[in-house]
Amino acid sequence: MVLCFAFFYVPIIITMIFSFNSSKSFANFTGFSLRWYESLINDSEILSAVGVSVSVAVIATVVSTILGTITAIGLSKSRKILKEWVLNINNIPIMSPDIVTAIGLMILFTSVKLEKGYFTMLLAHICFCTPYVITSVYPKVRSVDVNIANAAMDLGATPFQALTKVIVPMIKPGIYAGMLLAFTMSIDDFVISYFVSGNGVENISMIVYNATKRINPTINALSTVVIMTIFVVVFAVKIAPVIAKQQWFRRLSVKIPLAVKRVFLFASCAAVVFSLIQFGGIYRGGTTKTLKVYNAGEYIDESLLELFEEQFDCKVIYETFDSNESMYTKVMSGEKYDIIIPSDYMIERLAKEDFLQPVDKSLLDNFDNVIPAILNQPFDPENQYSIPYFWGNVGILYDSTVVRESDLEAGWEILRNPDYKDNIYMYDSERDSFMIALKALGYSLNTTDKSELDRAYEWLSEQKRLVNPVYVGDDVIDNMVSGYKAMAVVYSGDAAYIMSENENMRFYAPECGTNLWIDGMVITKDCKNTALAHDWIDFMLEDENAAVNTEMVGYSSPVEAVYTEISQTVYEGNEAYVPRQDNPKDEYFRYQDPEIKKYSAELWTKVKTQ
Amino acid sequence: MNTSMKPLIELKNITKTFDDQQILKGVSLNIYEKEFLTLLGPSGCGKTTTLRIIAGFDEADDGDLLFDGIEISKLPPYKREVNTVFQKYALFPHLNVFDNIAFGLNIKKTEKSVVQQEVEKMLRLVGLSGFENRDVTSLSGGQQQRVAIARALINKPKVLLLDEPLGALDAKLRKEMQFELKKIQQEVGITFIYVTHDQEEALSMSDTVVVMNDGYIQQIGSPTDVYNEPENRFVAQFIGESNIIEGKMIRDCLVFFDDFEFECVDKGFKDNEEIDVVLRPEDIDIVEPQCAKLQGVVSSIVFKGVHYEILVETKYRNYLIHTTDYHEVGRAVGLTFGPEDIHVMWKSF
Amino acid sequence: MKYFKNLVKPYVVWSFVIILVPIFMIFLYSITNSGNSLINIQFTLDNFAKFADPLYVGVFVKSLELGVITVGVCLVLGYVMAYLISKCKERTQGFLILLVTIPMWINMIIRIYAWKSIFEPLGLMYTDFAVMVGQICEFLPFMIIPIHTSLSKMDKSLVEASYDLGANPVQTFFKITFKLSIPGVLNGIIMVFLLSISTFMIPRILGGGDYMLVGNLIENQFISVGDWNFGSAVSLVLAVIMLFSIRWMKKIDKADN
Repeated sequence: MVLCFAFFYVPIIITMIFSFNSSKSFANFTGFSLRWYESLINDSEILSAVGVSVSVAVIATVVSTILGTITAIGLSKSRKILKEWVLNINNIPIMSPDIVTAIGLMILFTSVKLEKGYFTMLLAHICFCTPYVITSVYPKVRSVDVNIANAAMDLGATPFQALTKVIVPMIKPGIYAGMLLAFTMSIDDFVISYFVSGNGVENISMIVYNATKRINPTINALSTVVIMTIFVVVFAVKIAPVIAKQQWFRRLSVKIPLAVKRVFLFASCAAVVFSLIQFGGIYRGGTTKTLKVYNAGEYIDESLLELFEEQFDCKVIYETFDSNESMYTKVMSGEKYDIIIPSDYMIERLAKEDFLQPVDKSLLDNFDNVIPAILNQPFDPENQYSIPYFWGNVGILYDSTVVRESDLEAGWEILRNPDYKDNIYMYDSERDSFMIALKALGYSLNTTDKSELDRAYEWLSEQKRLVNPVYVGDDVIDNMVSGYKAMAVVYSGDAAYIMSENENMRFYAPECGTNLWIDGMVITKDCKNTALAHDWIDFMLEDENAAVNTEMVGYSSPVEAVYTEISQTVYEGNEAYVPRQDNPKDEYFRYQDPEIKKYSAELWTKVKTQ
Repeated sequence: MNTSMKPLIELKNITKTFDDQQILKGVSLNIYEKEFLTLLGPSGCGKTTTLRIIAGFDEADDGDLLFDGIEISKLPPYKREVNTVFQKYALFPHLNVFDNIAFGLNIKKTEKSVVQQEVEKMLRLVGLSGFENRDVTSLSGGQQQRVAIARALINKPKVLLLDEPLGALDAKLRKEMQFELKKIQQEVGITFIYVTHDQEEALSMSDTVVVMNDGYIQQIGSPTDVYNEPENRFVAQFIGESNIIEGKMIRDCLVFFDDFEFECVDKGFKDNEEIDVVLRPEDIDIVEPQCAKLQGVVSSIVFKGVHYEILVETKYRNYLIHTTDYHEVGRAVGLTFGPEDIHVMWKSF
Repeated sequence: MKYFKNLVKPYVVWSFVIILVPIFMIFLYSITNSGNSLINIQFTLDNFAKFADPLYVGVFVKSLELGVITVGVCLVLGYVMAYLISKCKERTQGFLILLVTIPMWINMIIRIYAWKSIFEPLGLMYTDFAVMVGQICEFLPFMIIPIHTSLSKMDKSLVEASYDLGANPVQTFFKITFKLSIPGVLNGIIMVFLLSISTFMIPRILGGGDYMLVGNLIENQFISVGDWNFGSAVSLVLAVIMLFSIRWMKKIDKADN
């Protein structure tokens, strides 16, 4: 039993320990520090996510408890058919997988054009919490003598009084159980919130999920605070009354339990009030100008957002996505943004599907600062729709203490070298993986020839057989900083960051060609305040701001002066910060025909599941 | 009884259907002040439904319900001047004895001191003084019963409805409570409407007994009336034990059954009308065979404490007889009864 | 009682809008192929036909396998835990159950990441083992709590009666204690099975990108591939499988009694 409890608490204790780690790593404890607590206090994004999580949980718990309780009471008096129907329907959210509920709700909200955000998240939480309340209250109601309510009314109580004075007090244990369950489910929910939220409203789970690009120990600090709070509350509620019952304590004071109760009551009232303020706060505002920006996670220095708000007297609603595809899905599902920062091929797709409006370069004072070599690329000729935000290529990051330099000459084929079996990270992305295979085979990465794709598929499945690589997402960054494996396929910007943290690491782009990419800022058709949108683009291209941004994120800046300077100072000698621009075999991704896309997506799933 | 008085509650042709099943098929009944009225009948006869309609928990489909001359069928239960003692008491488990009893007064926002006084008075009335702070779930059945009565009476209703209140008690306690209930009724001087399926309970406590069956009222009358003058076969069978014999009314005061003519006191039937005859077991005497028209053989004898229960087999049927004398099984006997012991009823269909 | 009947009405409306309508829409998506627009709907069963591909069958089989194993391990561990807890004094029981509950209040993803930092140095990352440990740690409380509830509700005199009638402790456990706790066990099994079969975070973080379970498949279709129709079809199939297995388990329960 002790082992089992250890099992539960090991991860929690680990979390707590690493919250005091002085470095960012989640693997090596380098020393004691409180820096993550400090950054927690200053991180408005995390704090507002805490606010959202708590307020959604509190409101959803209150609403679903009331709704669930009255429904359970009503059910016990309803006709049998209705009762069975309602109970069966009620079981659907409990019995069907979270992800199905999430998708159902997402489709619902999308199709009734309900703007996603705090309100939809709240609705969804009420939706999946209420059934739990009903299932825990209903049996209690059933066990109440049918005549109890009659008796109360017989004695002069109105139906409402009968409910509040007799029935509810009698079923209290069930109500409390349901409430607790609802709160637990709501506060811990990720899947449903992830699908139904929007407009920059994020709860803790979503922050944690999006923060995986660069592991952010601030989250650990937050968890530690949460854990401590829970223990304090538990102590106050469970243990304090026990102590109060002891003789020696009794003599000291008398009414501790009552006091505790009061404090608790007060605290919950405060929580509700706080939640309502939150709720109100999100729907107030809107008097000033707003700009909605949608960017990849961990892809900006957030101080720039505040600076922009200050300079242009507006409000920036900043939201993040974890891949171009999820961004596209979100936009397709009806989310409206002013500025999006997608990659090249996605820019082409959005432009083709008429989602973008042209950028008026005469409004951009700083457009001339952009490196000419990355302008006017095939995915967006003349930069009609997009202005570069960051750029780079894809290459192999290797541990120079493990990988022999001579092996590198094989180009991408090194990724199939059995000497490095179980020692390789691949990037869990269909397009990037196929790019590697296609380039290794000497094809274009934008091929539309299915037989070439088939060959690439064979290359990849052969690779899987030979070296058994691990397909990872952005956690590759932290893993390589910790030096867990010898090689990894990474974006140049991430490589630059990893190399700055781990000096054994080197970056190399194979001669046989790789993928060059540009992430660009685009203005959507939904954007009304185009002047402000142009201001934002221009703002990001300003020398000072671009410098702050590139330094924090580690990706290559599109602003020439900044790029030159940073590559000679902060990232001096860091080959990943200066992607090569002269290899004719390097290509940009282009928009893929849906049929080809589907074809390679299926091949990729095959590779992964083989 | 007092038919000259104005009735307190009037039920006029009440009907009620649950799930396609007609429970009440037209019930009309007058209930008077200070009356102890019992609705008696087998389970499913509609007696509890009648009570619930009076209390306001169920609404009649059709018919009128008048209280003090005013139509109240749409009035919710909490606005009616009646209170109920429930079958399983329906005490509030989260409240103690005091708070259970004080519930009605607290709902009316009565002053605390008054509540205190009234509750104490009620506890004295039901003999539970000193139990104020007890948890109701820790009380015995009889004690819970008393709390339920006190809880209802404290509201000073004009009518107290009791739904099989003694059903859950053991035989001895039941007897005690019967007396107690009657005593309380006389003390508070209000109408009691009492529902039971136990004919003994009904006969010993009531001023008026209403015998119900199959959604109809079969007979209304004093306990003596319904016992001695059952109006039909059902009433005769349900109340007490009886020998029911099919026969023919030759003319007034002369009835024919089992091959013989008997003198009786019943009149008002058509000549030669088919009728039922009731002979109560205790009204039949066992005599020497030659002294009686009906003759038979003792087929069984069971000692019942106060009397013997004897079955005598005659030519047409077995007669049930209660007597204090012992008669051996197998002995030939004669059966006699006086004209006033014969009760003639309409044949029921 | 007619007075409270109406209380159920708000929920009837609510559940129709927010439970039934979405299910219906998923269904609608699964039998059409018009992409994300509702303008030119075309009905088709292609989305379901895709399941014939061994690829997707494999994903389902693997998910079910993992779910069954997770449930099995959780059942054994959870039962032992619940049993031991129910043997404690009442107050200790409350405390221990609280200890089981507390981890659930701490964000799941954070706890999974903590496992990652344990497994990584041990070289256990991206294995079935890692995914299993993560799942078991996450879902075990959902097994312990219902079993404990049904064990603690049990009348102690039943066990005494069993001893009295000559059953030894082992027989008593299997014939009485376990039999009577079956409702709790079933609840636990259903909960854990549901959670483990639909999760996509745990395999994603602890299993690596090539760890494909049904949850990941669905998430992929909606988020990366953008094929909502196929995604809906997969969701629907998953939901149907779940509902049937739950039915089946309940039937076993009934047959048992």
